[in-house]
Amino acid sequence: MGRLSPALARVLLVLVLLALWEIFTRLSSVSVILIAPPSAIIWQMVQILIRASNVPDFYANAWLTIVEILVAYGLAAVFGVLTGIAVASSKVIGDAFEPILLVLYAVPKIILYPVIVLMIGTGPATKIIFGIFVGIFVIIFNTAAGLRQVEPNYLRLAHSLGYGGAKIFFKVELPAAAQTILAGLRLGFGYTIIGVLTGELLLVNAGLGYLIDWASVNYYTAQLYALIVITLAIGVVANYVVGHLERRWVRG
Amino acid sequence: MPIIEVTGVSKTYHDAASDRVVRTLDKVSIAAQENDFLILLGPSGCGKSTLLNIIAGLVPYDQDGGRVLVAGKPVTGPNPKLMAYMFQDPVLYPWRTVLKNVEFGLEAHDVDKAQRRERALKYLRLVGLEEFADAYPRQLSGGMAQRVALCRALALETDIILMDEPFAALDEQSRILLGDELVSIWRQVRRTIVFVTHSLTEAVYLGQRIAVFTARPGRIKLDIANDLPRPRAIGAADFNQMVDRVWQQLKAESQAASASGKKAAREEILLPKE
Repeated sequence: MGRLSPALARVLLVLVLLALWEIFTRLSSVSVILIAPPSAIIWQMVQILIRASNVPDFYANAWLTIVEILVAYGLAAVFGVLTGIAVASSKVIGDAFEPILLVLYAVPKIILYPVIVLMIGTGPATKIIFGIFVGIFVIIFNTAAGLRQVEPNYLRLAHSLGYGGAKIFFKVELPAAAQTILAGLRLGFGYTIIGVLTGELLLVNAGLGYLIDWASVNYYTAQLYALIVITLAIGVVANYVVGHLERRWVRG
Repeated sequence: MPIIEVTGVSKTYHDAASDRVVRTLDKVSIAAQENDFLILLGPSGCGKSTLLNIIAGLVPYDQDGGRVLVAGKPVTGPNPKLMAYMFQDPVLYPWRTVLKNVEFGLEAHDVDKAQRRERALKYLRLVGLEEFADAYPRQLSGGMAQRVALCRALALETDIILMDEPFAALDEQSRILLGDELVSIWRQVRRTIVFVTHSLTEAVYLGQRIAVFTARPGRIKLDIANDLPRPRAIGAADFNQMVDRVWQQLKAESQAASASGKKAAREEILLPKE
């Protein structure tokens, strides 16, 4: 017998749990409306993916959610990093605006959602803006922190070698802060997804969040679980892609 | 004509912590000829590093009649075409390879890529680190990292190299070995070196001239020519005589500096080991 590898142990644990779950739902008297058995969930996932289920317009809704997340994240990343650079670049700007950002960061953003809906309406833009709003702060703060924590000696050296201004920024400060900035971008990605999906669950008119709500209120429990698993899978894959890009950037 | 000429330079600054005006340099005059190996030796806080930074153009000095000329021109800021500067810490960028760190100094000047690489490799070869060209700084020992920093300074191929206690953070063996290498490189390439240290042994071992500072506010107490033959042997009779001679001058200043009561342990004068 070879040694049990961590990956194998993990798979085994999941399989055992799924098996127990299956047995429990089959043997107990708990209604399948409350807990769907794994076999039914997997069956539903297949049905959804081949468009054979009763879930309305799965691909259109999933695509909408993905686009909303990508647009929201792209904007949060660009404006988050730029704002972070601005906040770190001058003491005046930092001292003036950081308290405001911190207050906004501390506010539970969900309470501002009705205001956004009122101002922007119920289209994708509302969900995108909310996604940005939830995701951008960690990007701003990490960018600013990364740039502020650059070792003074790194700058002294560049200065002694005749570097200045933009050259110091791109050749020394930005690479020195890259790790912290990338950590912020990664966290911000997770938060942006949360923001977009929350927005969809509250608006209930389009997207994966809407489908999940639809399955829930109609007691399509297997569909509900299947949609949740699909949404999680999208998140995991996207997170992997972002992590991969992050590693490539740090190395290159 | 001396290549570095410091005349009557003073430096005062306002110390925010004690809210007092502190004078670190008091009308210092010193000159270095071409190919000099000049040591600035003094007790902690005497302003020897400040003087080096002033020569490097990294720190301004009091505008009260003093002046600093390098190669006949007043110093107005860092001039990496003329002066290379080496810190106590290696200050290697962790995201760059050894080779790219050495090239960093050349990137600021418009040296083309192939030439940059060639020159960086030439100096890495000189200090025996060619095979580490593609390694990252975290893979190097302290002594190796400081060698890379030395390469970065040498690769600029400036007439002057300014060194601020460059070996102070190393263990004694590495310090002696690196000192030997520095001397042999200096004899090959003939550059002017100004070297700040608080170590008597290091001063006598390396220096061609030793300028001894007074305690703060720093003045040059004595400028000693050190013409011991090379290679020098630590502990040889003539070496010890020279150490004694310098120590006689330094002792009182060192005591004065200790009496003033503000020094980091690491900055105290190191006596030669018995």
